[in-house]
Amino acid sequence: MTSTPSPSFSIVGRSVPRRELADKLTGVADYSADIALPGLLHGVIVRSPHPHADVLSVDVGPALALPGVRAALTPADAPAARLAPDLPVLDTRVRFAGDEVAAVAADDLDTARRAAALVRVEYAPLPFVTDPVAALEPDAPAIHPGGNLAIPQPLSLQRGDIAAGFADADIVLEETYALPTHSATPLEPRAALAAWEGQRLTVWKSTRGVHVDRAALAHVLGIDPALVRVIGPYMGGGYGNKDESRLAVLAALLARRAGRPVRIEYSREEEFVAGRTRHGGRIRLRLGVRSNGDITAIHGDAIMDSGAYQASAPGVARRTGQGMLYLYKCPNVRFDARPATTNKPVSGSYRALGAPQGHFALETLIDRAAAAVGMGPLEFRQRNHVPPEGQDGPRLTPPDEIVDGQPVEGGIPFSSNGLAECLRRGAAEFGWHESYRRDDPQNPFLKRGRGMSMMLYRGGVGSDSAARLSINDDGKVQLVSGLIDVGEGAVTVLAQMAAEALSVGYDDILPRFADTDSTPDAPITAGSTATFSTGTAVLQAAAALRERILDAATNHLAAPRDALSIADGAVFVAGDAQRRVSFARLAQDAGSASLTAEATVTPGSPDYIVNSFGAHFCAVEVDTATGRVRIARYVAAHDSGRIINPRTALNQVEGAISQMLGFALSEELVTDTPTGVTLNGSYLEHKSPTIQDYPDIRVIFADVIDPVGPMGAKALGEVPSVGVAPAIANALYDAIGIRFVGLPITPDQILNALAQQSGSSVTT
Amino acid sequence: MTFRLLRPTSLAEASTLLASDGGAAAAIAGGTDLLSEIRNGTAAPDTLVALDSIADGALHGISDTADGGRRIGALTTIADIAADAAIRTRYAALAQAAAGLATPQVRNLGTLGGNLNQRPRCWYYRHPLTVCLKRGGDRCYAVPGVGKYLCITGGDRCFIVHPSDTAVALAALGASVDIATAGGIRTVPIADYFTGPDVDLMRENILQPGELLTAVTLPPPSDGQRSIYLKARERESGDFALVSVAAALTLAGATVQQASIVLGGVAPIPYRAAATEAYLHNRRVSQISAEQAGAQAIPNPRPLPDNAYKAPMAANLVNRAVGTLLAAAPP
Repeated sequence: MTSTPSPSFSIVGRSVPRRELADKLTGVADYSADIALPGLLHGVIVRSPHPHADVLSVDVGPALALPGVRAALTPADAPAARLAPDLPVLDTRVRFAGDEVAAVAADDLDTARRAAALVRVEYAPLPFVTDPVAALEPDAPAIHPGGNLAIPQPLSLQRGDIAAGFADADIVLEETYALPTHSATPLEPRAALAAWEGQRLTVWKSTRGVHVDRAALAHVLGIDPALVRVIGPYMGGGYGNKDESRLAVLAALLARRAGRPVRIEYSREEEFVAGRTRHGGRIRLRLGVRSNGDITAIHGDAIMDSGAYQASAPGVARRTGQGMLYLYKCPNVRFDARPATTNKPVSGSYRALGAPQGHFALETLIDRAAAAVGMGPLEFRQRNHVPPEGQDGPRLTPPDEIVDGQPVEGGIPFSSNGLAECLRRGAAEFGWHESYRRDDPQNPFLKRGRGMSMMLYRGGVGSDSAARLSINDDGKVQLVSGLIDVGEGAVTVLAQMAAEALSVGYDDILPRFADTDSTPDAPITAGSTATFSTGTAVLQAAAALRERILDAATNHLAAPRDALSIADGAVFVAGDAQRRVSFARLAQDAGSASLTAEATVTPGSPDYIVNSFGAHFCAVEVDTATGRVRIARYVAAHDSGRIINPRTALNQVEGAISQMLGFALSEELVTDTPTGVTLNGSYLEHKSPTIQDYPDIRVIFADVIDPVGPMGAKALGEVPSVGVAPAIANALYDAIGIRFVGLPITPDQILNALAQQSGSSVTT
Repeated sequence: MTFRLLRPTSLAEASTLLASDGGAAAAIAGGTDLLSEIRNGTAAPDTLVALDSIADGALHGISDTADGGRRIGALTTIADIAADAAIRTRYAALAQAAAGLATPQVRNLGTLGGNLNQRPRCWYYRHPLTVCLKRGGDRCYAVPGVGKYLCITGGDRCFIVHPSDTAVALAALGASVDIATAGGIRTVPIADYFTGPDVDLMRENILQPGELLTAVTLPPPSDGQRSIYLKARERESGDFALVSVAAALTLAGATVQQASIVLGGVAPIPYRAAATEAYLHNRRVSQISAEQAGAQAIPNPRPLPDNAYKAPMAANLVNRAVGTLLAAAPP
């Protein structure tokens, strides 16, 4: 990994250790399921065995008769308020095999499980549909009132005129791509613990946003949000995926009935089936090019599989198309999307939402376009990638309005755009121009190939974000934010920024995060926004706090404000190092309350699109005897602005590539078409890559300092996951001459394609 | 889930306990398979008969036999087999099968007996909601469903593959198994130990209630024998074989004197590639085409709609195994 340290910063740009490292490595870190309270009960959810059915009756009598069972909950007991317009707490209609029907709580987990098995549910099975394309047919069984389109209207976005663009093309390429349902497989299964003290409810939960959970709990339970406290303990794998509140509501309802705290922790199988998946689906993509290499038109049409509920379908649909709309300079683009409800596990938010799916289609078809006009993949991308000045066309966003991170219109430049540097430096590090042999004289089964991809993603502009900084009596600085670190290192990175901005040591920052009772309102940790958006709030709060510190020091040192400067946790009179006062002393004198500053920001810029970028290069070896693919080498070059912590940044990129290696080559959550049940909800059968499958990964960060981002930083969490599958698929084509249009590309797919290839070469 | 755990101290006691409970008792050694079956609800024994409390030397350890073979007690862990120096040099296929099996945790806990007696991995057999023929249900769910990992030969109403890696290697190496019965120990060739759904839908071997597999014996390798185990899978660790092959060749000069080729992942039992063996038998090395050896591994495969890939995979693996063994032959 390479990145250029900044000479002007002493803490930002350094790989300081993660704040939570010692706690996690020594096992003292408490995750949601580790928290115990006196009298704790264990909750278990009763789930539907049918993919689609009416619940005629639920009899919890036999369960309650079991000694040690303290409470049960049925659809009749659940509040009528919904978690989302299409998502009840418990319903008399179940929409996937695994949907919640009832819940029980008992003194211990074994008793609760036995009780759950004793709940008698009478079902009337209904026709069901598991294919999203079939779900949108007129005769498909309706899963929700109003049909199976998971958004109010089909999404349709365009710039220019694609009909004219395709008419203008010398070559039009078209392909249909099949995307799998993919589980995020977090090591920590979802868990929530709910405890009531009178009217006050406290919930500890694995979550991506405590304030969002608080709002959902208060709404559904019909109580004042001020009576609900949600705490986010350490997270064992987030990936944006822990995005539902149903679990916490069930725990709270059981706890209220039992009069004792209740914890529900998903089993591993439940995490797969009742967690949230990456949307599968079908993408049709058309691309028009002139023989000189100009791209004249791009049209994507996606049907995404939302599973049984809408969840994050609108965001996923939107993200699926952004690469098609914006990664390449093109005057005529259009993206249509229809997320469809199916009788399958719920798809949700998972690292970059639809962007990896959309980029798989785009970046493999771009390779075909390059070949069609006689250019190499790198040359074609260097010629056609969207430039720093953005797309042509009129700006439609009003001049003072903050520019969306996913624009459609032209006429707006990027705050920074390091695509050219990512392509150039990534190719150099990889040795893209060096010659290589596809065949191995020693092993006739071995084929080698190389591929690449390019990607863009939102740069970190998120919802309103807040941070509070205050100086303690001992000079330490409290950094308070409602945000939750979902495992990516937000607390570390934000603490580095705060330390740098206040001229104190990294260890002097005392972070307090993710507790609705003591932290300002925060958005969810999603959309790669933590560093950029909350970081902006941290810097604003730090700037305000510096002013207060200087005000206090002016009195203390009897020196004019403009003679003062701040360093090493103290204020100095310039030119007279003896006249100094420490933050600690100032706090003791002034009181900690007065040395406090809070900032709430609306992040973003009215002048620029803020996006992050990357280019990936990989070398594969295919064993054509067994269909096994080995990633021999992988180079990832990224523009995420200034890198605040090179080590956590490297971890993000390596983690994303490792995770999406499974999406590309081995992982799919399979629903059985005839029965509608999930067949492989386990670590053994949903085949996440193991450490032995991980490639040698080299990571480069472009030397980009973003003018909008806090200290020049942009988003990083999701963008490295976006281009992994197409880079691998393109390398496979180079190796064996087969264009895979479906994922994952498993050994059987490779052997089938090779058999077809040799069959067709015999006949021609 | 509740069960009684009994800890007998002798083989006879264990055998009695297992036989007396009308099939509702299960023997447990490492438990890596049985406990997952109990968790899934695919097995619900009311009594577990632990074998690790039995001190009988027959069940433990690896030792040479009088005739120069190697005997492995059924409670020997997979990790110990993989690490055994004599097995690594004399029975390479078995050492390789053991070393590449599952994960380090499973290899440290799982035993040879358990590996040979593990139940099928068919997704439908293992799923709580699809009670298939093998669990006493009324149908096979795999035929209209996902058959990607199932058999391409030997299926009969049920299309499992035997999941054991060691079984394939042991079959190729000509091992025999000792079975403790009420009347003492009987010994059978491992080829006769496994049975397909055509014999009994509900079981995968000949063990009767109350019987226990106590040891496996490898015959002394003939002079010039070399063996290999190759396994195709979807990831490098923690994965069962899509297809595997164990090959053992004995060369006399420049001629193959004996050939033993057994495939895993293609049939409900370890599958002997008899046509390949016949092709190799008594053939001069210079006259052997490894590709031809592979091409006849499974003469008439009957794949399900989505597992035809296993036929070329099997052919390629046999090709590679034979080619590798012959390339290592002295000129």
